[in-house]
Amino acid sequence: MVQKDLIWLVLGFPLLGWLIQSLFGARIAKSMGKPAAGLISVIAVAAAFAVGLLLTVQLAGLPPEARGIVATAFDCISLWNIRIPVELRIDTLSMTMVLVITGIGSLIHLYSMGYMSEEPEYPRFFSYLNLFVAFMLVLVLGNNLPLLFIGWEGVGLCSYLLIGFWYKDFANSKAANKAFIVNRIGDVGLVIGMFLLLVLAFDHQALFKGDARWLSYDVLIPALPEMLHNNGGMATAIALCLFVGACGKSAQFPLYLWLPDAMAGPTPVSALIHAATMVTSGVVLLNRMQVVFAASPTASAIVAIIGCFTAVFAALIAFGQSDIKKVLAYSTVSQLGFMFIACGVGAYWVGMYHVITHAFFKALLFLGSGAVIHAMAHEQDMRHYGNLRKYIPITFITMVIGWIAIAGVPYTSGWFSKEEILHDAFGNELAVIGGVNVGVAIGFIGFFAALLTAIYMTRMMMLTFWSGEERWKLIPATEHGHHHHEEHHTHGSEHAHHEDHGPDTHGFFFSEAELHSKHEGDHHDDDHHALDANHKPHEVPATMWIPLVVLSVFSLFGGIWLTDKFGLFGHKGKLLEHWLDNPLNHVASHGAAHGGDHGAHVIPYANIVTTLGYSIGLIGMVLGILYYFGRLPKAEGWDFTKWAPWRRAARDQFAYDQVMVDAAVDGGGAVGNFLWRAFDEKGVDGGVNGIAKTLQFFAGIFRKSIDGFARSYALMMLFGVALFVGYLVFVLMSRGSIQ
Amino acid sequence: MTGIPLLSILLGLPLLGALLIGFMPESSRRTIQLSAIGVSAATFIASLLMYSGFNGNTMHFQFRESVPLVPSLGVSYSLGVDGVSIWLVLLTTLLTTLCLWFSQYVTERAKAYNILMLLLEVAMLGVFMSLDMVLFFIFFEMTLVPMYFLIAIWGGANRAYASIKFFLFTAAASIFMLLGILTLWWINWKNGGGFTFDIPTLQHQVATGALWANFMHLQALIFWSFALGFLVKMPVFPFHTWLPDAHVEAPTAGSIILAGVLLKMGTYGFLRFCLPFFPDVIGQMVTPISILAVIGILYGGAVAAVQPDVKKLVAYSSVAHMGFVLLGIISLTHEGLMGGAMQQLNHGISTGALFLLIGLIYERRHTRQFKDFGGLKAQMPIYAALMLITMLSSVGLPGLNGFVGEFLALMGAFRAGFAGFNNMPLILPVLAATGVIIAAVYLLIMFMRMFYGPNDNPENQRLKDLKPWEIALAGCFVVFMFWGGLSPNTFLKPMERSLGAVRLMAINPAGQRPSWQEADQEIDATGQLVRRLPSGGVEVISDNQNVPERVSPEHVARK
Repeated sequence: MVQKDLIWLVLGFPLLGWLIQSLFGARIAKSMGKPAAGLISVIAVAAAFAVGLLLTVQLAGLPPEARGIVATAFDCISLWNIRIPVELRIDTLSMTMVLVITGIGSLIHLYSMGYMSEEPEYPRFFSYLNLFVAFMLVLVLGNNLPLLFIGWEGVGLCSYLLIGFWYKDFANSKAANKAFIVNRIGDVGLVIGMFLLLVLAFDHQALFKGDARWLSYDVLIPALPEMLHNNGGMATAIALCLFVGACGKSAQFPLYLWLPDAMAGPTPVSALIHAATMVTSGVVLLNRMQVVFAASPTASAIVAIIGCFTAVFAALIAFGQSDIKKVLAYSTVSQLGFMFIACGVGAYWVGMYHVITHAFFKALLFLGSGAVIHAMAHEQDMRHYGNLRKYIPITFITMVIGWIAIAGVPYTSGWFSKEEILHDAFGNELAVIGGVNVGVAIGFIGFFAALLTAIYMTRMMMLTFWSGEERWKLIPATEHGHHHHEEHHTHGSEHAHHEDHGPDTHGFFFSEAELHSKHEGDHHDDDHHALDANHKPHEVPATMWIPLVVLSVFSLFGGIWLTDKFGLFGHKGKLLEHWLDNPLNHVASHGAAHGGDHGAHVIPYANIVTTLGYSIGLIGMVLGILYYFGRLPKAEGWDFTKWAPWRRAARDQFAYDQVMVDAAVDGGGAVGNFLWRAFDEKGVDGGVNGIAKTLQFFAGIFRKSIDGFARSYALMMLFGVALFVGYLVFVLMSRGSIQ
Repeated sequence: MTGIPLLSILLGLPLLGALLIGFMPESSRRTIQLSAIGVSAATFIASLLMYSGFNGNTMHFQFRESVPLVPSLGVSYSLGVDGVSIWLVLLTTLLTTLCLWFSQYVTERAKAYNILMLLLEVAMLGVFMSLDMVLFFIFFEMTLVPMYFLIAIWGGANRAYASIKFFLFTAAASIFMLLGILTLWWINWKNGGGFTFDIPTLQHQVATGALWANFMHLQALIFWSFALGFLVKMPVFPFHTWLPDAHVEAPTAGSIILAGVLLKMGTYGFLRFCLPFFPDVIGQMVTPISILAVIGILYGGAVAAVQPDVKKLVAYSSVAHMGFVLLGIISLTHEGLMGGAMQQLNHGISTGALFLLIGLIYERRHTRQFKDFGGLKAQMPIYAALMLITMLSSVGLPGLNGFVGEFLALMGAFRAGFAGFNNMPLILPVLAATGVIIAAVYLLIMFMRMFYGPNDNPENQRLKDLKPWEIALAGCFVVFMFWGGLSPNTFLKPMERSLGAVRLMAINPAGQRPSWQEADQEIDATGQLVRRLPSGGVEVISDNQNVPERVSPEHVARK
């Protein structure tokens, strides 16, 4: 039995947390201290996790074919021909994501209590974070595409707000804008995909038996195979439109360029939103709509190719980065590419598998990097790090676990999922474009990407924790701190000169005295000292290392448990695969091409694949250690001319970002200005003003005493009457009434 | 509620108020302002009363009143509301009240200002409630006069140019509409229908096919004469250039009313006249008008993105938003019409709120240039939060009102384009969809330039946050943004039957068109046009369920 109404609590707790935080957070933080305010948010997400866990256990108790329950609240839009209710879907896919979101979410909330403890706008941060969790839950739980879209844009909004959290720096706000706008491009794709589905549904009304919930999963998905039957073009079109949406949110190649900039946000945000949850929405979408993709080998092949290209492209860029968070950002883009390879070759559950393991180890790595940054006075450039293992042991050990998991050391979580992806790339035969199965090629390139992953992650770890020297000690000690106070003083004196607006009758402005006392309270920002030779890194507080330890346990063992490759827990076959085998698609995938039982497929080059699978990560790590273990190599230093050309190019994302941004900003601006100045003001208005001038000229002939307006109007009337008479004559003539 | 001339009361209250204020001395400014707020609030309450008595399950006009004015010519004082106009009436009374509440900041010539605002309300309400074409036209033109003076007296530096431009553009366009009205009247007379300007009567002649039977060749011409008047009002590219100037120069309340209500007179007119009266030619008009709408969406957005003045940016964004409204309506699909009608309300709320918030900062800083702002978020957090919500509503974020209208309108247009109804090309809705990207661009840039970055202008460092009453005022708008976004059915349901009727009037062949005249006709709960028989049963005249959009011959050939 599933108590389905409990699902509203899962959604309700984070929403409540958001409400409390945004309405009363500041007051709570002031009267009871910041930890109390933070704890509210942590509890909200943890409670959602607890209820989610309960529901998942109940769901697991049902027979597999009954694992899909819909809880409906009310009709949001109900027209005669379309109905969009607010309804949540409890099934294996949505509950898996609920556990990932709220589980990792509560750990990251806990971590944020420590990480953001010096932040003056602490409640604002937590309110955004809670709102994000709520929207993310809407995204995965919603039972129809419009509801998914609400979550989809909602998480985009929270991402926007959190990237721009430190808004006083324009660079952060620009990164936030970029994220939102690039995501919107993807969103348009998703919307058009939705419209295509709707059009298709309208053409197959009989399949819906009078139920106008065209876009609800439980009605739409079972009908899809029939709708797409013999309609491959339509399937491809819908699949590609949905994939454009996925590319935006999940940072795949043409649209990935917002994610690296998104690192401008606080590090817990990078861990939660830009690594573990939001960016995997695209994979969730593809899993949800897998019937469409399964019906279109062409679209699947394109998904796999894009995923593969992104995996390699982002991995290469990661070599050019010196900022520890940027390395992790590109590694996220690259790992998301792996997930799309899985979806492209039809192994949808494997995509989810990598979503889950990646959520563990990448959240761990990001939180670890946050701990490093915290310890290093907010310095993010790895060229200032080195030998940190001595100072921050817990962070070090946990990050090592994250490192071996992402690099693919056999039997860690990352190895299981990555190996399964590449295995399926070789074995499955869904990704066929132009009659060619691209799977094998993608498999080999995927191994190359895995090799690159191991190397650049090793580079990051070596530069941070080893490489002998402690490079921040090379920074000369400087004086900090007092210029802020001076700034306030200059402002104070400037105010005195700006009293030229007359008396402030409405009370719009602060008086001098109020201003003074206000600035007294402002001194708390920016009081942390900068990195210099006297700096001594400290281990992070418990609120921050506890999540690290928990996540490292999952990064190590999360993989074995989910696949049961060795039957450790007595299950037959693969636990996650069976769990995610959704009854919705079961009915649906009948007859359509699907990647279900790929165990039966023959794997080409089986020996090579198995050997590479076990060894590739280790090879990469050894190569990386050999190169980076000693000092900071010359080709990594501050002098870019000593860098290898390809790594300099990688540093600039092979100029892709620059070209796109320039084209959009400069090009778009030029078009806008042209239309405004040349067309609007000169063209249309020029013409109209010309008429007005002519009128005035004639008016001047008639009467010179009345002012311009009345003249023009009078003349306008005259013209009107003339037109009217002419028109009437025309009408009457054409009727033949006047003869 | 029967027996009480509620609509006349709605018209009479602000008129009486204006008269009353006329007798007050200019010196008692506070009394004048408070009585204007009181009168408009009373009108709003009266409109709520009307709403509570409104029956959403009929396509027919309700609260009808009719008194012959000039029987010899067929002019009558005839009022009524249906689903198309109900929300616009409420929007008018609400926005007027909120505007007058804000207008406490207007201290110069307050008496004339408040009188004009109340007269403007009378005219706007008259437009939405008139069931007589001459009455409609009179009210339509009457709105120009108060608005002209509001801009010309209380406007900005370039107000003379802007006010004349506003007046001439819209007056010129409505002359064509007058021609159209007179021709309809004349045709009806030629057909032996006598002299009448009554909208239901004339529409009944259209529904039966009698009106145009011998005048088919005039239909397109008269369609354009009406459409021109409304397209300029909306405004649609390329007739939009009066709007940015009028907005920039208008006082805040003028901008709110202009964007919130006056532009809706264009879309309302489109729904009330252009769709029901020209069923034989409307199909040919779909493509050209959608092209204009889509150009408006893209063009308005592109130009908005490069504006240095906040208010001008919002003005151009109106061009883009109204493009979505028009696109939805002209798609002639049910969801498109509903979306367009919803979007016009949303635009009234969102853009009205944007102008209000800009007005609040303008009162403080006397500037609207981006270069004078920056970093206001730290200085005025509540103001920033209100602006953020409003901005997002205008961007069309799901969960807020802007999304629902845009989504349905685009959906309708897309469906029409995909199936090729009336030859609508698919590329148009696809292009229109990219308009939402541009909307994000210019609105996010606006927000960033005003609120993010360092607060380095010393003038701004002295600013206090909004006062409680200002927060309450802006909060009224925000409530509707959430309401419309979370429970759009509240707004959609009362409109559905009337819009369904309007759509069938436009797309059905003669004899199957609904008629406002025939009381026994009705749109049923599933959207079918039925006739109630005396026996108690119903006869289905036109079923709506199975997509009766008129399919072009070419499309049939393709199938």
